[in-house]
Amino acid sequence: MSQMKELTKGIFRENPVFIIMLGMCPTLGVSTQVSNALGMGASVIFVLTCSNIFISLCRKIIPDAVRIPCYIVIIASFVTIVEMVLHAFVPAVYDALGVYLPLIVVNCIILGRAEAFAGKNGVVASALDGIGMGIGFTLSLTLIALIREVIGAGTITLFPMGSFSGTITLPGISESPVRVMTLAAGALLLMGYLKAFFAWKGERKA
Amino acid sequence: MKHIARIALVLFAISAVCTALCAVVNEVTAPAIAQNTEKTRLEALEAVAAGYTIGKEQEGNGGDIAYVIPLADESGKTAGCILQLSSSGYGGEMTIVASYSLDGTLLGAKLMADSETPGLGKKAEEDWYMAMFQGKGGTEPIPTAKSMLPADLNAQVSGATITFTGVSSALAAGSEYVKGLGGSI
Repeated sequence: MSQMKELTKGIFRENPVFIIMLGMCPTLGVSTQVSNALGMGASVIFVLTCSNIFISLCRKIIPDAVRIPCYIVIIASFVTIVEMVLHAFVPAVYDALGVYLPLIVVNCIILGRAEAFAGKNGVVASALDGIGMGIGFTLSLTLIALIREVIGAGTITLFPMGSFSGTITLPGISESPVRVMTLAAGALLLMGYLKAFFAWKGERKA
Repeated sequence: MKHIARIALVLFAISAVCTALCAVVNEVTAPAIAQNTEKTRLEALEAVAAGYTIGKEQEGNGGDIAYVIPLADESGKTAGCILQLSSSGYGGEMTIVASYSLDGTLLGAKLMADSETPGLGKKAEEDWYMAMFQGKGGTEPIPTAKSMLPADLNAQVSGATITFTGVSSALAAGSEYVKGLGGSI
């Protein structure tokens, strides 16, 4: 039961984006298209889970004085691996994520979870924490990207498959979109509304 | 002393394991990355060839022009060339592929690799950016200063002057190089 709690806490109760407010930079930066959000989310899930497992495994041998450099080396290595894999096999997502991909190294969700959780807990709990927090981050990012793209461009961009071009154009809104939603100002505005919604939901539950 | 040595050893061991992991993944992904890069380069050459037939790659000037590719018209006569130019932007080196007619007029250009700032210098990757220089370099000079641009374009490139200077100076140097060849490509 407690393991299930570790997995699900990141999705709503301790959602990294809307509740803990971590990883705001990539959240605002790459949430212009749903495909970018999914690519970034998958990358963060992989890095967060692998780094949490590795850090948890090494937690007893890492000296306290150099724990942050050790965490950064581990996280940076997994980010480099993700970068190489995306560059080789999903170049469209690699190009779209651009500078935000190497910046996962300094994403505060990953370092935050390493410091607050993986460095103090067992491997299974740390892996579940990484998966849960990663899923929470991905869902939040996808929700923001979906609203921004639908209102700001009238489209939903997914991945091309067979005869499907990858883009769904919504009639009506695509002819007169609210362009501000695709800009940084629109992202901040939407974050404010969603944060308020999550706070209201949290209060109602309490 | 023993404590410091232990810290250094742990840090070294973790770094070594991480490096080994990266090396293994690099071995697997490097061929696919090279293939993607070559595919992107060929697509860029096609995009800037302006309908001409792309010839065989020749060596550039050994400096900021990596290679020269002649362009031939339908009759097989040399009509221009494609150059790979390198220049410096705000985020480091930029690679540009540009095509010119024999009199140095820019036919088309594409920014291939750069580390410019998203929202500012990254605009140079968009089609309208290179269109600013298209058709220039022959009788009309390539604009190498923002003051040479119309007001609307001047405003568009504001905030990324170093990128603009890097791109425009590379394109102007390419134009001069083609003029210097005098049609002997």
